[in-house]
Amino acid sequence: MNEGLLEGDMHRLHPEKLITVITSDVLGDRLVKAVKQRGASGYTIFRAQGAGSSGEQSGMLDVDTNIVFHVVVPLTKMSAMLDALEAIGRKGHHLKVLVSDVNVLWPEKFE
Amino acid sequence: MLSNLLIPAVLFFALGFLAKLIKSDLRFPSDLAKALSIYLLVAIGLHGGYELGKADLLTALNSVMWALLLGFGMPLIGYAILVFSKKVDAMNAAAIAAHYGSVSAGTFLTAVAYLDSLQIEYDSYPVIMLAVMESPAIVVGLLLAAWSRRRLAQQQGEPVADTENGDDSDRGKLTHILRDAFTNGSVVLLLGSMVIGAVAAPQSMAKIKPFIEDIFMGVLCLFLLEMGMEAARRIGDFRRVGAVLVVFGVAMPVLGGLIGVFIGHLMLGFEVGGTVLVAVLAASASYIAVPPAMRLAVPEANPSLYLTLSLGVTFPFNVVFGIPLYHMMATAVTSA
Repeated sequence: MNEGLLEGDMHRLHPEKLITVITSDVLGDRLVKAVKQRGASGYTIFRAQGAGSSGEQSGMLDVDTNIVFHVVVPLTKMSAMLDALEAIGRKGHHLKVLVSDVNVLWPEKFE
Repeated sequence: MLSNLLIPAVLFFALGFLAKLIKSDLRFPSDLAKALSIYLLVAIGLHGGYELGKADLLTALNSVMWALLLGFGMPLIGYAILVFSKKVDAMNAAAIAAHYGSVSAGTFLTAVAYLDSLQIEYDSYPVIMLAVMESPAIVVGLLLAAWSRRRLAQQQGEPVADTENGDDSDRGKLTHILRDAFTNGSVVLLLGSMVIGAVAAPQSMAKIKPFIEDIFMGVLCLFLLEMGMEAARRIGDFRRVGAVLVVFGVAMPVLGGLIGVFIGHLMLGFEVGGTVLVAVLAASASYIAVPPAMRLAVPEANPSLYLTLSLGVTFPFNVVFGIPLYHMMATAVTSA
């Protein structure tokens, strides 16, 4: 029964790529600009705290605040976005970039 | 010395510091410190603007000029010392130096609380210097970093221009950063509040007196409680920073304090109170406006170095020892 339901869902779901970036809050504007210039239709930012190679990010001061940045893109736009993120990383900024396969209901929202 | 330590604001700073040391679960809601700093800047801006509205324009302009000189000059002194010490590379030296040219409103307000507790009068001109000194050091720090980056690239035979990303070229980036430095939230808030305080009708200002005066010291206590916790959080990074840099974090404010006392009294003609405030401006290191700017524009520099120095070493030093020390210096110079 579950398989039948999953199969039914699969007809209406469409594969996309979810790019997740975890980085400092100060890079938020730069990320937005980079993905918009490369055709992203939208993005989502969460404030976050945690610890990594840059030490603990408590979220108390602007410089100590991390963000989780999500953007969903079709496969055709992904390489350009990754190039832009790599360019930011090459300057010395600390970013964690995760790419996952996701399924979406309305693919036209991400084109 | 004891009188400084027994001010509620300083005691709350110590409480925050202690809470972190004993691993208390005391924790502020994440945006409260930012909200408190917005209030403090608005209150000091309105108050200072109101006083400046009645002040002498020539002295105000003279104060602005000396604030600019301090803001541009202190990072150059800090950079020279750090490069000479050979304990950090040029990029870290530029980022750290920028913090020492800019100012800490928290330290300034603690000095105001200190002077109030001793019933020492002070001029309102240092408030405008506080606003003016937020940005120039960011600009100097970024120029020093750009210069160091260029020299490093030339030494390594790498291409100098960074044009991988359209408007992210050096020139585009510099324009963007300069705009950011002067439209920085703290600067806009402080200068804007000062203008409002200066032009608002006195009877309408009287209505907001409870907001800008009566609750001011209480809010400062809360802010310093949080800053005490933030300062103590940096203690663990002392080893990473190293003894020489910790010494820099203490010596640089003392040097700044000396220069500030000289400018405050001899150049601007302030009495003890005003001179102490100018000394505090020259001695303090930014931990709110400058770190994000450096993190964004000088990613090669290590944030734990400049944050540990400004927030973990210089800020506690100034709050506990520096302010009474600058008071002693100012008293000696003004009574000479």
